[in-house]
Amino acid sequence: MLPGALTLDRLEPGSKAQVLSVTGVLPIRRRLLEMGLCPGVTVDVIRRAPLGDPLEVRVRGYLLSLRLDQAAQVSVAALAVAPAAVA
Amino acid sequence: MTSAPAAAPSAIRTIALGGNPNCGKTTLFNALTGLRQKVANYPGITVDKKTGRCTLPDGHVINVLDLPGTYSLVANSPDEQVAMEVLRGLRPDTPAPDVIVAVVDASNLARNLYLVSQLIELRRPMVVALNMSDIANRRGQPVDAVALARELGVPVIPVVGHRGDGVDALKSALTQATVPALPTWLLPEAIATAITTVGNALPALPHAERERFARRLLAQETAADLAAARADPAVAAALANAAADPATVMQADIEARYHWIDAIVARVVQPGAFKPGTTLTDRVDAVLVHPVLGLGVFGLIMATLFVTLFLVADPLMGMCEAAVSWLGELVTGSMDGGTLKSLLADGVFAGVGGVVVFVPQIALLFLFLAILEDSGYLARAAFLMDRLLSKVGLHGRSFIPMLSSFACAIPGIMATRTIESRNERLATILVAPFMSCSARLPVYGLLIGAFFGAAMFAGTPYEPYIWLIQGGIMLACYVLGILAAVVTAYGCKLFLGKGAVTPFILELPTYKLPQPGEVVRQMWSNTAKFLTKAGTIIFCLSIVLWAMAYFPRLPNEKILEVTNRHNTTPVVIPADATPERETEIRNARASEIDSAVAGAQLEYSISGRIGHVIEPVIAPLGSDWKIGGGLIAALAAREVFVSNLSVVYSVGNVEDDQTPLDEAIRADTYDNGKPVWTPMVAVSLLVWFVLAMQCISTTAIVRRETGGWSWPLFQLVYMNVVAYGAALITFQVGSRIFGG
Repeated sequence: MLPGALTLDRLEPGSKAQVLSVTGVLPIRRRLLEMGLCPGVTVDVIRRAPLGDPLEVRVRGYLLSLRLDQAAQVSVAALAVAPAAVA
Repeated sequence: MTSAPAAAPSAIRTIALGGNPNCGKTTLFNALTGLRQKVANYPGITVDKKTGRCTLPDGHVINVLDLPGTYSLVANSPDEQVAMEVLRGLRPDTPAPDVIVAVVDASNLARNLYLVSQLIELRRPMVVALNMSDIANRRGQPVDAVALARELGVPVIPVVGHRGDGVDALKSALTQATVPALPTWLLPEAIATAITTVGNALPALPHAERERFARRLLAQETAADLAAARADPAVAAALANAAADPATVMQADIEARYHWIDAIVARVVQPGAFKPGTTLTDRVDAVLVHPVLGLGVFGLIMATLFVTLFLVADPLMGMCEAAVSWLGELVTGSMDGGTLKSLLADGVFAGVGGVVVFVPQIALLFLFLAILEDSGYLARAAFLMDRLLSKVGLHGRSFIPMLSSFACAIPGIMATRTIESRNERLATILVAPFMSCSARLPVYGLLIGAFFGAAMFAGTPYEPYIWLIQGGIMLACYVLGILAAVVTAYGCKLFLGKGAVTPFILELPTYKLPQPGEVVRQMWSNTAKFLTKAGTIIFCLSIVLWAMAYFPRLPNEKILEVTNRHNTTPVVIPADATPERETEIRNARASEIDSAVAGAQLEYSISGRIGHVIEPVIAPLGSDWKIGGGLIAALAAREVFVSNLSVVYSVGNVEDDQTPLDEAIRADTYDNGKPVWTPMVAVSLLVWFVLAMQCISTTAIVRRETGGWSWPLFQLVYMNVVAYGAALITFQVGSRIFGG
């Protein structure tokens, strides 16, 4: 995968990315931004839950979990992409 | 920066603690108020209102209000709504605080300062309590409180809530609370223009207020203080004229705040050698949310909880019951028979017993919940289970309430408060009573024991496998309840949700060692809530059901008739009987007559008559009036079914072992000689008990938690219709296949 514009839900654990924009219906978009996922901030993808969803990220020094549906609303530029885990 | 003058000490009457969830606000509240606190409800909603008293160094006593944790003053849940409304002074029941204490987690400064950026705009005297500075220091990222105070323009007091460090300094600082200066937010040109346009349409407001108000209007906030302005045609015109996209304004506003925050954080936090991913929390998480180990540990924790709720609570529940009945015996033992004695013994004390019997289980459950919540594991449990539960329209946080409901739906439903999304919380409340609770166990035990036990299979090839058959039927009851819950939850997702996406955006807090004092306090306050709310209802209902079983009294001639029927043969005393043996034989006859009279009395009473009235309705399920009377009585609590049958079948004292009852029901026949009870009747009743809502206490709690009668009534009708339908199909189909 080439570094470039993609959404947070597509990143493998271990990746690092910068938030470009947040979309979606207003209340959810507001909450994502309020939790610190603003454009420009750096996000580390920590892991997925054992059943594959939700996703856990580190943003502004704390741990946040969000469903893949919500992560898909966050466009990011990948800074470091971890290889897909070998199943 | 200029600051408004400090509040005069005598002017402070109420302070409010505001802060993010997990910032240690409640610990600080406890440290400030000690034991002088009380928990009530905000009128009309189910959010706890926690208030306490605190003595300032000058001897002045003030009220301290602990607000629900919130990430923002734009509310997403009823809890956040309350916090926002109290802080904005919008609640008539709660005066706006004289001083706001902003509790800030030093180890998570940036996100915590977001709320502070909004609190600043409330124009009230403020103090910042910089909590968890010990964690920040340990991470090598200490926060410079003096520098932060300079940046914010308000006193900043480092505290460690659970050790009480800094609490005295915080109390002294309250009198120096200042109204912080307003920061200037850097907004894009177009948005700043739009804000000015709308601000100009608000001439009634002080100049300084206009911009903030305009910004909130443009971002489509829904707080009550904006409604009047929005209704003003001039404002509406200005809003249309400004033509700003609400989402763009909202985002620009949040970005501007984080821009301001980032600048402050850069100046007040020492960029230490801290490497993210190396903290204790990270190491613990490597196990607790590990793809394989995580689920294993989760299963282990939940199994422990489940087993504890049954095994540890069970003897305690027995002790509670014994204590109440001992007390009842003490009070009524010396009384002569009569209505008052019966009211006290079978109404009042049985009612009290019915309430306290739940206490050990509920207290234990809340103890577990408090430990899981305080340690930070509850959020991980939600993280682990969300995938599974979101499939059927529930939430990761629904898991604990559902599991708790296997013990008792009441604490389970009370525990749904941790679910922020309304639809998912409602769905969880609606399906929780389908979980087979411990009150159903005595009924399952009686029916399975009587019809699938030794008496049934003795001498057949199945005899060695009785335990397997019985266990299998028991398991099937649990599975049937779970299936009903899953199907119902899925229905809720389709009809309630109407396609709305409910988000799961959950902070995974830093792990902490739970504070014993706080855990016990939480357990007690929740148990007390049960005792006062559900307890009152259960108690009152017990009295009503007692009256229904007691009145009208059997006329004397009928008592005589029953007595004579049981006295047709003379009492035979063998010639060689000792005097003791003779008394024994006479007593046996007397107690046989007593039981028969009690049974006749019950049939004659209101509940017995209702049993007869509903007989046509329950006949297709294979049940007769005696079972019907039991079902009516079981409305108070399901296990009452068993004791009610004991009375009807005149098997005397229920406290004796239950063998006589299962023999009695097997032996009961209709007038035509056909047995009343068959295995199919038992199975049909089991299906009914698994699915039916027969617990007024749960209905009362649902009313309280949903804030109205419509959902509890819907649930009552829905569950009972489903239960009736399923029991009907079971009996009709089953008796055709297996021949009754």
